[in-house]
Amino acid sequence: MTAKIAIRNLDFFYGSHQALRGVTLDFPERQVTALIGPSGCGKSTLLRCLNRMYDLYPGQRATGEAMMDGMNIIGPGVDVDLLRSRIGMVFQRPTPFPMSVRENIAFGVRLHERPSRAEMEERVEWALTRAALWDEVKDRLAAPATGLSGGQQQRLCIARTIAVKPEVILLDEPTSALDPISTLKVEELIDELKRDFTIAMVTHNMQQAARVADQVAFFYLGEMVEVADAGTMFTAPREKRTQDYITGRFG
Amino acid sequence: MSGAVARGGMSAGSPAREAARLARMRRRRAWSVAGWVLCGIGFGMLGLAMGWILLMVLVRGITALTPTVFLEVTQGTGGGLLNAIEGTLVIGVGSMILAVPFGVAAGLYAAQFSHTMFARAIRFMADVLVGVPSIVLGYFGYVTMVEGLGWKFSLAAACITIAILCLPYICRTTELALSQVPAAMQEAAFALGAGEGLVAWRIALPVAMPGVLTGILLAFAISVGETAPLIYTAGWSSYMWNGALVGSPVGYLTYAIWAFINEPFASANALAYAAAFLVTVIVLLISVTARLVLLRREGAR
Repeated sequence: MTAKIAIRNLDFFYGSHQALRGVTLDFPERQVTALIGPSGCGKSTLLRCLNRMYDLYPGQRATGEAMMDGMNIIGPGVDVDLLRSRIGMVFQRPTPFPMSVRENIAFGVRLHERPSRAEMEERVEWALTRAALWDEVKDRLAAPATGLSGGQQQRLCIARTIAVKPEVILLDEPTSALDPISTLKVEELIDELKRDFTIAMVTHNMQQAARVADQVAFFYLGEMVEVADAGTMFTAPREKRTQDYITGRFG
Repeated sequence: MSGAVARGGMSAGSPAREAARLARMRRRRAWSVAGWVLCGIGFGMLGLAMGWILLMVLVRGITALTPTVFLEVTQGTGGGLLNAIEGTLVIGVGSMILAVPFGVAAGLYAAQFSHTMFARAIRFMADVLVGVPSIVLGYFGYVTMVEGLGWKFSLAAACITIAILCLPYICRTTELALSQVPAAMQEAAFALGAGEGLVAWRIALPVAMPGVLTGILLAFAISVGETAPLIYTAGWSSYMWNGALVGSPVGYLTYAIWAFINEPFASANALAYAAAFLVTVIVLLISVTARLVLLRREGAR
């Protein structure tokens, strides 16, 4: 199993507060890695390291290594815009842009390519199909994206992310704002997407982690406590803290 | 209410506690009545002031409003107000052309790079500028442009002075509107690999547009209602604007109010009433439009 991203001794700071301590973790290629743990344990912070989201905020910094194809993601001299085209991100709440459905997809594509009109149409259809949304929106591509339902908006955000053709997709609690049916659709989608993409997903939902993840990593107080394949993690965790958390004794 | 009473009833054990509860309730009710009375007085005073002003301006204005007002220029202390209507609109539009690009750009910067020293400086300067009395701005325009640059009373001096006056309002409303754009939406654009400029231009500004437009409209309303800075910079002219930016004075509605209300001629007073009516109606229309723009935005959410 080759690691798409290999994290070694990663520390992260919000100003003087250390949010991640010496994290070491591999994200295997074309697999779903779920990050679980109580609120504030650093799992979302880890995602935001991988696409350098923290660059937007002065005072936030990361040290250590996160290697992808021989490049240290968090090192100096990385072309951050290019990095973000290779590592896409979907957020907790749907964030459609104030434009049409079609333009929402085209926006990201145009940042990195200059496709012709026909190529763009093709790409929009491809991305929406991959996100299992095409049939629902093919007749309203010119309508404002804000008119879609919450679940559709979230799948639109996923379509927008894969339209850029990234290699890695980061999902930050992608279903926490969705109803059960939309959640199911998104979970099926994640299962389907891992054939082409390496996926890292933060979730608070143990069942969800058990359903969709190949590998699960448990975080507690900024440390990566334990990582194992999903079956082992939920049946025979090594650490007591992990067991307490997944059986609902705290968190 | 009924729930609170029921709960109180259940916990009421001793008569002493029951009495205390009643006293507390009576006290609360008295305060509530007092609050409503104060609210009513406040509402009544505001409504009275507004109603009185509007009624006076409208009644006197409508009787003074003849076709001549719209068709002829001022002649001595009579005639019409066509020159002033045109001047007010030209000064308003001209000052917006100058103030909007800078005001919106400054607001955009202050919102998108809100933690930088430069953004803090912009906010500070806008606050200071808002506090400068408009007559001081007029005197500034007079000294620097009318006299200093030798532009005389002129459209350019008037527009630049009014633009300076409007700049902080546009800047602050733009910044406020942009600061309400959800951070998650902007982060999502960054996460696709978009740069700062593109996120500000394609994501943040369109979302904030109703707020920005409202700010611009209100600034325009301010420019229509200003008097003191224009007396120092535009002067007054009984003729139509001749197209020149410098060298010749321009007429405007607020001057007609200020100058003609004191004249001992009925014709002059009528012009003042008509001008007051027009200024009030224009500002009212702009305010209502701004409200509608904002309402439509609320509805779209």
